[in-house]
Amino acid sequence: MCGQVDYIGEFMVTEEEIKKVAQAMKIDIHDHKEFVEKVHAMINYFEILDSAGVDDEEIVMQDLPLSKLREDKHIPFEDSLIDKLKNYKGTYVRAPKMM
Amino acid sequence: MKLNISALEYIQGVQNGSISVEDFIARTLERIKDVDDKIHAFLHVNTNILGEAKNIDKKIKAGEKVGACAGMPISIKDNICLKDTKTTCASKILHDFVAPYDATVISKLKKEDVLFVGKANLDEFAMGLTTEFSAYGPSKNPWNLEYVPGGSSGGSAASVSSFECIASLGSDTGGSVRNPASFCGVVGYKPTYGLISRFGLISYANSIEQIGPITRTVKDTAFMLNIISGQDPNDNTTVTNSEQDFLAEIDAGVEGKKIGIIKEMIGEGIDSSVLSATKDAISKLEGLGAICEEISLDMVKYSVAAYYTITATEAGSNLARYDNLRYGYEFPVEGYEFNSYIAKARTKFGPEVTRRMILGGFVPASGHAGKYFLKALKIKQKLTEEINQKFKEYDYLIAPTVPILPFKIGEKIDDPVSLFLVDINTVTANLTGKPAISIPFAMSKGLPIGIQLLADTMQDKPLLQAAHALESTVRLPEVPI
Repeated sequence: MCGQVDYIGEFMVTEEEIKKVAQAMKIDIHDHKEFVEKVHAMINYFEILDSAGVDDEEIVMQDLPLSKLREDKHIPFEDSLIDKLKNYKGTYVRAPKMM
Repeated sequence: MKLNISALEYIQGVQNGSISVEDFIARTLERIKDVDDKIHAFLHVNTNILGEAKNIDKKIKAGEKVGACAGMPISIKDNICLKDTKTTCASKILHDFVAPYDATVISKLKKEDVLFVGKANLDEFAMGLTTEFSAYGPSKNPWNLEYVPGGSSGGSAASVSSFECIASLGSDTGGSVRNPASFCGVVGYKPTYGLISRFGLISYANSIEQIGPITRTVKDTAFMLNIISGQDPNDNTTVTNSEQDFLAEIDAGVEGKKIGIIKEMIGEGIDSSVLSATKDAISKLEGLGAICEEISLDMVKYSVAAYYTITATEAGSNLARYDNLRYGYEFPVEGYEFNSYIAKARTKFGPEVTRRMILGGFVPASGHAGKYFLKALKIKQKLTEEINQKFKEYDYLIAPTVPILPFKIGEKIDDPVSLFLVDINTVTANLTGKPAISIPFAMSKGLPIGIQLLADTMQDKPLLQAAHALESTVRLPEVPI
């Protein structure tokens, strides 16, 4: 494909790592193996970032002063959003127990 | 009554009385009924708009003022909120979600009397470039139903291409408007970052994505941009459109303009017919008086990896809101602990979204952030510096929108890296915030080829002028469906 760089995949993604990340991202995955090959291919493609020679580049951040942000004020909403939820009680969102 | 007309032709027809809005909408709904079971451009069709069409006709007859769009039927990608309408992002997790408010672009279009004919199919949460990752089944390419229409705004492009509506709105994170426009033979526009409000667009990768129009002509894109662009207090990243009329002076041409041909986008791996079309486009532009020279953007080689690193990270964060508590599908909370409920609810995400969530967890994780995410940000910055330097010398840059022809449904679905690389010519505009447009330019094996032009930040108006000049050199056949 035009413009692409050859890369050598060195990083191995393991089933154990997929399990850890899935748990951290709160996704219930039954067959972790199914994801190993494709995620491995994706992550290894990212290895070409190493050959870009940008290690010494400084990332320039753009500061945005608070005065440029919109005013933090309450804007009344005409509809009752709580009525649109599947699970609620009174004015509270119903959630599963934390513990 | 013909449905294969541009937005401006439609409006002129309504204004001079040769088109009745009600008749046009009725014909449009018939057309959808006739062809959409084959194309599957729509996830939901608004069959109630005939009443709205009648009201617009009544207003016109009574001599009352109507909006600039005069009842023009358009489709909306189903990741843009349209109040009281299902907005699913083509995901099972938002199967029942009804948007409680209008996106800013929708409010602006409503003021101009647009009629929303339906919500268009997409790759789930806009993650993909073929529409095959829609949880509700793929859209098909109207030029050949065995082929992908591109994506992620594949339903939008297919609906315009197959005359199921006059125009559409899509969203473009890495080419998601331009790629399907190229594959379906229509015009697709990614504006300067901030020119169109993202308020009400369901976020995928906020730092680079934009809403963009998909139309039949460049003039229609300019017309749509006049309506939907501009600063929005609800989106702090928006910039002023300086009250520009994007349609005025659209015939300005390209005489004396300098155009850089991006060599990294026409190199190894490019389809020979796409290369030939690109050379032809360059020759046509030269014939119109432009000066075209080859240039190099070295960082393009790394742009796809940088793009997927950044988008995976932002997507991982954006998708964290889908806990099925504030919005989601019917799934009782009883019997679950908090985290296990969310994890279980998220099994409704499709395989591609799940993969990208895992990537989004992996890439910025402790120990990996410096290796992937920070490098990707540095490449984004260096690519921006490179392209800014080129725009000091050149008015426009040119490349094919996609280096290959549309491919068959299922052909690349199991090879994520091969799919990544289809984006190589489009992600640069997103990473650098520049405006870019895909113009339908040639046909090969019965499939369309789009040519992409890019311009410097806020040079949207001259970009549309150049695109219009190129468009005027070709006339493509009509879609066969």
